[in-house]
Amino acid sequence: MIECLSCGRQQEPSLICAECGSPLAAQFDCFAALGLPRRLTIDLDALERRYHELSRKIHPDRFASKGPKVRDASLRATATLTRSYRTLRDPVARGLYWLELNGEKLAENNKRVPVELAELVFEVQEQLAEMQLSSDPEEAVERATEIAARRIELQFKMDEALVELDRNFAKWDESADQKMLTLELKTTLSNIAYLRTLIRDVDRALENSKAA
Amino acid sequence: MAYSDKVIEHYNNPRNVGSFAKDEKGVGTGVVGAPECGDVMKLQLKISDNGVIEDARFKTFGCGSAIASSSYVTELVKGKHIDEAMTIKNTVIVKELNLPPVKIHCSVLAEDAIKAAITDWRKRKGDDVAVEEPAKTSKEA
Repeated sequence: MIECLSCGRQQEPSLICAECGSPLAAQFDCFAALGLPRRLTIDLDALERRYHELSRKIHPDRFASKGPKVRDASLRATATLTRSYRTLRDPVARGLYWLELNGEKLAENNKRVPVELAELVFEVQEQLAEMQLSSDPEEAVERATEIAARRIELQFKMDEALVELDRNFAKWDESADQKMLTLELKTTLSNIAYLRTLIRDVDRALENSKAA
Repeated sequence: MAYSDKVIEHYNNPRNVGSFAKDEKGVGTGVVGAPECGDVMKLQLKISDNGVIEDARFKTFGCGSAIASSSYVTELVKGKHIDEAMTIKNTVIVKELNLPPVKIHCSVLAEDAIKAAITDWRKRKGDDVAVEEPAKTSKEA
């Protein structure tokens, strides 16, 4: 239970006082902050509507004339709301947050990398190294074209992984076999992490080759 | 962050870089990674029928410490029996390469790669001889 600093009412943690509508500086999880059930599958339109609605209600501008404690609560509630919204909006951030809520760490018992993915990492990194080493401008252009084609392939794999993540989410919401599902979720999230690193490096190399 | 001389030495002259064919007889392949930083390590061991590690190859994408750790373990495991190699702790790697605390996970990755490669070899050999699955770590058990 927390106490409203404006009217003194004791209540369940929430961003807004049920009695007087004042902002409350409560610490709680991202789902509760947005008044959503703890489910991995989220209706993004509803999430956004809920976010805008709540931010209007607790916006610091509305409490500018109030005392410092209420103003502070408004700032804190807004920060909690924004952080929660950003975490839930991005499926990867949401998945990682879900692991955290369940006391799991991404890298724990999750070191194996699918062989094909590892080979892809090595191949692409070798290509990037070759591109950086090529001194002949014509060859450099050729390499950059190959890398650009890789970029498309990687994005395709990333999209596939995100579809798989959605599938993991739906399964989790329906099933109780959380041990098995934790493993699947971790695998998908780490595959996404490896792909993200690769895509980041490819984008950097392409930027540099353009600049050169 | 400054790398130790030994890390730099392995980084500049990595030992046993490359690959064996995955389905070559007696080859066990371990592929491990650190999802937080995106490092990926592949370690392959060529193991005799009686379980002695005859040769090793690695490929690593990652920081200097990750490359040095995997390069060092290829030298460390050669000539060892797999039972002994399974007991190699990351602390040996940390000590040899003078890894700072923020790079300890690189040595853990190299230790995991040895175990993964040996497990793979046992699994492949298991087609003829039944071998016990290695003990699972605490969280999975």
